[in-house]
Amino acid sequence: MEQENLVEIKDLYLNFYTYDGIVKALDGVNLDIRTGEVLGLVGETGCGKSVTSLSALAMVISPGVIESGQIDFNIGEESLDILNMPERELLKIRGRYISMIFQEPRAALNPVYTVGDQLTEVYFRHRKDELIEKAMSELENNIRKANGLKRSTYKNHLSLYKLMLKNPKSLKLRLALKIPIIRRFQNRMKKAAEKEIIGLLGSLRIPDPARVVQMYPHELSGGMAQRIVIAMALACNPFMLIADEPTTNLDVTVEAQILQLIKELREKFNSSILYVTHDLGVVAEVCDRVAVMYGGNIVETADVMDLFKKPLHPYTHALLESIPRPGKKFVSIPGSVPSLINPPPGCRFHDRCRYALEICPKVKPQLIEVEKEHKVACHLYYQES
Amino acid sequence: MGLKEYIIRRLILLIPVVFGVAVLIFAVLQIIPLENRAVIYIRNPRQMQNIQDIITRYGLDKPVWEQFTLWLNEVLHGNFGYSAYYQKPVLQGLLDRFPATIELVIYCAPLIIFFGIWLGITAAVNRDKMPDHISRVLSILGTSLPSFFFGIILIAIFVAQLKWTSVGRITNMGLLISAMQTGKFHQYTGLMTIDSLLNGNLALFVDALSHLILPIIVMIFIQSAVLVRVMRSSMLESLSKTYIVAARAKGLSRKEVIYKHARRNALIPVITLSGLIVGGMLTGLIITETVFNFPGVGNYAANAAAHFDVAVVVAYAMFSAIIFVIANLIVDVLYAYIDPRIRLG
Amino acid sequence: MSSRFAEFKKGMQPRIKELKFTLSKIKSSTLSLIGLALIATFTAIAILALTRTLAPPKMYDPFLIPPSPTYTREPKPPSPEHPFGTTSWQTDLYYGCIWGTVHAFRLGIVILTPILAVGLAIGLIAGYYGGILDEILMRFTDIIMSFPSLILIMALVVAFSTVRLPIIFTGTSRLDAAVLAIILVGWPGYTRLIRGEVLRLKTEDYIEAARASGASDIRILIKHIVPNSIYPIIVVASLDFGTMVLTAAALSFLGLGVPLGYSDWGQLIYQSMDWISSGFAYWWTYIIPGLFITLYVLGWNLLGDAFRDILDPLYRRK
Repeated sequence: MEQENLVEIKDLYLNFYTYDGIVKALDGVNLDIRTGEVLGLVGETGCGKSVTSLSALAMVISPGVIESGQIDFNIGEESLDILNMPERELLKIRGRYISMIFQEPRAALNPVYTVGDQLTEVYFRHRKDELIEKAMSELENNIRKANGLKRSTYKNHLSLYKLMLKNPKSLKLRLALKIPIIRRFQNRMKKAAEKEIIGLLGSLRIPDPARVVQMYPHELSGGMAQRIVIAMALACNPFMLIADEPTTNLDVTVEAQILQLIKELREKFNSSILYVTHDLGVVAEVCDRVAVMYGGNIVETADVMDLFKKPLHPYTHALLESIPRPGKKFVSIPGSVPSLINPPPGCRFHDRCRYALEICPKVKPQLIEVEKEHKVACHLYYQES
Repeated sequence: MGLKEYIIRRLILLIPVVFGVAVLIFAVLQIIPLENRAVIYIRNPRQMQNIQDIITRYGLDKPVWEQFTLWLNEVLHGNFGYSAYYQKPVLQGLLDRFPATIELVIYCAPLIIFFGIWLGITAAVNRDKMPDHISRVLSILGTSLPSFFFGIILIAIFVAQLKWTSVGRITNMGLLISAMQTGKFHQYTGLMTIDSLLNGNLALFVDALSHLILPIIVMIFIQSAVLVRVMRSSMLESLSKTYIVAARAKGLSRKEVIYKHARRNALIPVITLSGLIVGGMLTGLIITETVFNFPGVGNYAANAAAHFDVAVVVAYAMFSAIIFVIANLIVDVLYAYIDPRIRLG
Repeated sequence: MSSRFAEFKKGMQPRIKELKFTLSKIKSSTLSLIGLALIATFTAIAILALTRTLAPPKMYDPFLIPPSPTYTREPKPPSPEHPFGTTSWQTDLYYGCIWGTVHAFRLGIVILTPILAVGLAIGLIAGYYGGILDEILMRFTDIIMSFPSLILIMALVVAFSTVRLPIIFTGTSRLDAAVLAIILVGWPGYTRLIRGEVLRLKTEDYIEAARASGASDIRILIKHIVPNSIYPIIVVASLDFGTMVLTAAALSFLGLGVPLGYSDWGQLIYQSMDWISSGFAYWWTYIIPGLFITLYVLGWNLLGDAFRDILDPLYRRK
């Protein structure tokens, strides 16, 4: 079955300009994420996986600069060029079509605002019209039942909401938003938003959502916080969820719960998930396909089963070998992660690779499909060409 | 613990601190030999002639704690002694001068805070660009330049050379006093700028304002220096936090991220600093008012100190301490209000 | 004894390495270089004055500006006999500013040494032993710190003026009063600072380990706690070299610090007050001493900042 590519990252080059030199963090990354799949992005710390995932949102943390490349986001008939979009347009995509969850959940939440505030924020940003319409229909209902002073108040509120919908920049509305008592008409909309998030939290099996919504991030446990962050990411039914090591900092039992949650969500919402991790065990449990990353390059992509059964790239092979198993001798990969300020020439893995050929330090290998749905970037497999 | 409980707890803690302040002042007073110290208790100069009477009345020959109680009793009744230099009861002298200082502070304080916060945020958001360099120069100069030197330079330029304004509070005090005495000018608040407007005297308003500008500039320059630096570094730290990345990933605009998410967290250490700024202002007033010959309480205390008038200086010290302590209390409450981790933790 | 010294030297090796690293970092930042240059210049001036090369003193107290034979009030502009000009009553600004430099350094040393000694000792004890002692000491520092510092200093100076103080710090009783007042008001700041550090370090594992291996309290304090808590103290102390001078200058400006005719930058500016109504006509009376103060304080501020920038990562590393 031919699946569509939701996001295509093509030849992405990214540098960090630091005091110690230019870190060539991404060296021509090529990655496709398909609709409805869970793609694992695996690699050691510093290989560039987080940077790659942030780039999908066109978010680059200073002092990083995207040097070249293209990222296409395909929804329906349209193909959006993420890297060349104006910021205004990108704001509509972030949090709505593509959203992200983070490694340290309590750090991803702002400590001075309640959980409810931060959740409703997403609704107000992306689904405001829905909220306004809900408020309006409620008001229309109430107008029919009430009379006298209440009725005229409701009518005023209704007109303000109509204004919000049709002409959000109108002077009348902007004034109304500044005057203390009149401002309160928004409460109806806020309550509607709260109702939505309580429902959302419930569907994520968070106990007692009405109470949780009033809490502050530091009052939550790690697992609870991560559920909240996931809720925030899913509030608008995104096409793709980027999960940047979401369970690394959690206890093993909590990790299992979160992974379970993610698997269920995938079925319910049919979003793609880009799951960034360094833990091959998690990959085996959750992912459909895997991409292995080393030193700023994608070195291998394959179906999860194929990767574990038949790893092609020497690095993948070494990674799988190094997973500690009872009875097996502990093996580690010789050498250490290269400095990306002066990366090794040619294939960036060649100096740690036990199969290195003469050509490896000279020419960088390209990612080529060697078997069905199994790509690898390694000179060992170029015999034909 | 909610906000209310926190406030009550801090208010209760206030009492031992104020008590401690009184104890310290009393200890300082003990350094002074009896004859000089007697002046702290009297209400008019004639009492000085009968020192023995004062000594027995206020227990200056009795044990320390009895003295302390008697002294405290006097203070709580508003008797801070008599000023030899000004020939007036101390409390009355200070109260007379109070409105002038209030007028200065009312304009300075919000300007210092808003300017400091604004410049700090602007510098952080535009790191290593022009606004950042300007803020750094300003804050370094502000902490190095002595306030009296800066004041003198401003006077030399604007008062002496350009003759745009003069020192003091208004140009012709005598005229104003006679106008008040003949009932042509009513004093409503004691604040020259407001009273002049209420009396419909625009010329006086402009005059009063022009006399306030230079002292205000000096105060703002010196007091906001530290504020700018702390705000900047706090904002930079806030902007580097994960929740900022998360907020951007939610699709919030740069403005929303800076002003809604980063700023509130960045303000937290700055709020603590505001208490110290009040302290700095209390000190700065002494020097600035003296340089500009502005008739406020700072000037009053400085002149008294120069003439070794103990009563006034000690009273000013006590008032300053109490204001400082209350300011820090307000700051702590604000801190708890903004950072939920404090009151719930 | 000598083996102890060898051990000491070995223990210092990593610290010497870090010191070298620190110095190289200072070299790389323009602002810190400016600060270093300023302080070096002032130090040179002070040394030259003390060795009688520059502005040789003529009175029994070198800090007293030698009076001029012509006792006219009006200041004279810079000239060969008075390179910086004169202020009221022909007070030589050149002498005043040069020896003002020596005075500034002396103030820093004479004030900060007791403050550091007392403040750090009390802070270490309070932090390390905790309990009732800590509570009492903290209440005490809290009360002193409830006063804006200059105001309490002023009150103390005025109170001291009514008694005869034994001369201990400098040769002059009025200056001694000011110095004593500044010391009495200044130590709580350092106490709080080091106590905070000690509290933080008390929970560190290596302290527990040292205690478990039977090290005495004093040994732990000296060997482990002091070296690790000293960094913020260094930063604040270097900033204070400048701040103390500002405080002293403010006191002199208010007429409280030094006797008349002393080489004190603050007092020189005080004397210039009579002449500012003529605008720039007598610019040298305030600009020159003002520049001396500003640049001196600026130098220490920049150095203190440089220390902070350098010691911060070092400190966080620990």
